[in-house]
Amino acid sequence: MKIELNRKSAGRAVARAAILATVALPFVLSAKPASAETRGYVISWFATAVNTKDYKTDCPATASGTEKADDDSGPRRNDVALVDGKPVSSRSYPGAVQKDPGLEMIKGKYAYGFDLGGPAKNKFIDPETGLKVDNQVWRAIGCHSNFAQRPYPEKPYTEALGWDALIDSSPGWAMQISGADLSKDGPVTITLDRTLRHLERDANFGVRSKVTYAIDPAKRSHNVLQGEIKEGILSVKTGEIFMVADFPFYTQIDLTNTHMRMGADPDGRISGFWGGYTDWYAWAYLYTARPAAADPVAYYFNLKKLADADPDPATGQNRRISTTWRMQAVPAFLAETDGKIIATASSEPIGGIIQQTPASAEIRKAQK
Amino acid sequence: MKSIYGKKLFALMIGASAIAYAGPSAMAASAQAAAEPVKTFPTSLRLSPSQYKQSIADVFGESVEVNGRFEPELRDGGLLAIGARTTNVTDGGFQAYDEIAREVSAEIVDPQHRTLMGCTPKSDKKRDDSCARSFFSRVGPLLYRRPFSRNELDDVVKAAGQGADKLNDFYSGVRLTLAGMLISPEFLLRFKKMEPDPAHRGQDRLDAYSKATALSYFLWNTTPDQELLDAAKSGELNSREGLEKQVDRLLASPRVADGVRGLFADMMGFSEFEHVSKEAAFFPNYTSTIKQQSQEQTLRTIVDHVVKRRADYRDLFTTPNTFLTIDLAALYGVPLVDTTDNGQPQRWIKYTYPEKDPRSGILAQAGFTTLWSPAGRTSPTGRGKALREMILCQIVPPPPGNVAFNFVEDTTNPNLKTTRDRITAHRSEAMCAGCHKLTDPQGLALENFDSAGQLRQRENGVVIDASGEFNGVKFDGPYGLAQAVRNDPAVTSCVAQRAFEYETGYTPPKNDPQWKQIQDSFAASKYDVVALLRQIALSDLSYTSPTKTLTTASK
Repeated sequence: MKIELNRKSAGRAVARAAILATVALPFVLSAKPASAETRGYVISWFATAVNTKDYKTDCPATASGTEKADDDSGPRRNDVALVDGKPVSSRSYPGAVQKDPGLEMIKGKYAYGFDLGGPAKNKFIDPETGLKVDNQVWRAIGCHSNFAQRPYPEKPYTEALGWDALIDSSPGWAMQISGADLSKDGPVTITLDRTLRHLERDANFGVRSKVTYAIDPAKRSHNVLQGEIKEGILSVKTGEIFMVADFPFYTQIDLTNTHMRMGADPDGRISGFWGGYTDWYAWAYLYTARPAAADPVAYYFNLKKLADADPDPATGQNRRISTTWRMQAVPAFLAETDGKIIATASSEPIGGIIQQTPASAEIRKAQK
Repeated sequence: MKSIYGKKLFALMIGASAIAYAGPSAMAASAQAAAEPVKTFPTSLRLSPSQYKQSIADVFGESVEVNGRFEPELRDGGLLAIGARTTNVTDGGFQAYDEIAREVSAEIVDPQHRTLMGCTPKSDKKRDDSCARSFFSRVGPLLYRRPFSRNELDDVVKAAGQGADKLNDFYSGVRLTLAGMLISPEFLLRFKKMEPDPAHRGQDRLDAYSKATALSYFLWNTTPDQELLDAAKSGELNSREGLEKQVDRLLASPRVADGVRGLFADMMGFSEFEHVSKEAAFFPNYTSTIKQQSQEQTLRTIVDHVVKRRADYRDLFTTPNTFLTIDLAALYGVPLVDTTDNGQPQRWIKYTYPEKDPRSGILAQAGFTTLWSPAGRTSPTGRGKALREMILCQIVPPPPGNVAFNFVEDTTNPNLKTTRDRITAHRSEAMCAGCHKLTDPQGLALENFDSAGQLRQRENGVVIDASGEFNGVKFDGPYGLAQAVRNDPAVTSCVAQRAFEYETGYTPPKNDPQWKQIQDSFAASKYDVVALLRQIALSDLSYTSPTKTLTTASK
């Protein structure tokens, strides 16, 4: 029996970082367009874009009690995993579990996301844009109590734990938005990096605005994307992201066919969604490797079944899955390690108009 | 086991000490001082929390921590240093001193710190009078700031031995005895013992140990070191040359920064930060860290300006030079790069604002703007009043008892969008107008700083009008106010008065020639604060009683 190991995704990440460092990086650095204005931000809220507004419709079996989404941290339904006929830990070897736990999948129509070009049968309708979108991660795990957040839309329990455990110690993610005039519509460049220091808290245990962060000169988390601002909405429709993070939060943010949609809040914060295709196995690993409340084997099975991109040439098994995160970023000064300021913190809205999207309102609600 | 001293004993000891050192008439003088607290010479000053902590650190080492809550200090005549002349201790205050003393003494004899004692008992389980005597003979004079008499030393060695016998533990005996010393008035109060002044027949002067104590707490904010006590013992401090030598030694030390910090923390009213809070919903960037850092920023700025640069005191109000952390920089909206390794504490980094930046000078710092603002809004009146009273030594009358603050406090009135609008409406009431003329024109110039000290250009969407007026000079914005304050003669006379009061506990007699000389010297030095401290420290005015109501112990 084939056991899928974590080093598979880790190997891809290392290889990609190496390519960035040796080939792509000089090009990326030299290709960065000179911009009249660059604003800085740090990601201050980041979580799976849950959409638990109509649980009975989304998860009728679980809602009615005919199926049970297990909250326990122990093995679900006495999962039996065998390797060479010998029993092993179901969390360590989820692929060796003999029976699919059968976590109910989302039946409803709505999920946040982006149209990634997936098949029509997989499409959700985005509640914010009304567009048909791909988000198979949500379909796979949305019925589990960890993600069916009520009151809506708190971070999923495990993501909230991970975020709060790391925010005071783990380096943050920085975002630069560059353009000729960010108070108007027009093309922009989005640059993502990791900071050297952890984020600073504010009095509400959120993230403090206008702090200066030095950018990590190591380029493995350096990403450059092209996008545009139109009517106050910053959107990105192509590109790749690879950003290092720390367990037990996401160990990495790894997206292909990256899409973004962000709007401005009144105080200069921006919020919205990031989506694309991510490595389903790395996603599942976040839960199989963690002893806390979740149902990792069930996630594993559903994610594997619903993966919808990047088929393995040998097996045909898709290696990536469509997903979307909800995010918020606060203004920050960004600097190089020599002290040179490369992005300023601004309270002015991108595009010159405040576009407080439903996503931002929901995040604010969750922060209260 | 309870401390060997109780509150009643403490009170008795205060009385007895006062009688022993200043004579019975001092008691009457002390009562008189309570009625006129600023103009009379105090007989004693209570250690401030910072002086207590620093004294412990200097006697026993920096590793000994002093935790716990001290009894609130009393601000009188503009300074806690004047309020410190009270000898009253409430039940709660005594309990606090007792708890702190027990913790400190327990810490000193714990296995980690007991090497600080300088000797090891023959047995941990038994009394060792020799070791106890060695320890108390060293720390006793440092704690009491005077020689330890043989009887006193015998008493504490005996007490330590009895404690050891009863508890079968040498260190417990030392601990209990030391705790008793730490709640003794001899430690908690800085007595001002008078003696006849041989140079001026019929006049009294401070004795040498009281003078050493006054000097040390004035210039270093701590208990006298051994060299200063030796100078007192030898009589050196009673000669002009000897006093100059010691004053110059103290001023040449980097520890003078501690004295300057103590003076300005008191003068700026930083003890009031204990009551400062901000609405997190409106001011999420104002945290407890910011609260601490804003005080530290102002003190660092002051020490850098007046001690390291020896710059003109007046320029403190316009100086672009300061120190920031990344959190404070975020509050002020300026970039500051700290490349300290992740996980390390934030560093203090030198920062220079552009010329005439509104954030220049100490009045624009959060140490001032946040301290004198309520939780959810600014108070130009509060800021203006603080400026008048703290920086200029002027008196602003309190509001009448029946005044209504409806206009000022209602920040939701759609017709009064800015603080200026609201305060103008408030001033339209005749009973309010008079005093507000004293305070508001200056406070309104700081409206570019919100209650949390953040620079702002608008309030409720309306561009802030930060124009103001001070002593007939009109200006626009915080920097204009800073320049006007800088040029006001009251700024320099006030700091001189505060420095004198900080050392002596009373207000200098304005018409005394010696006081005039101190001020003239300050001007001649181009308002060098260290030179001012030197003049005060050397002046006879600091060590003689202007009221001549005190009698000496010998009398």
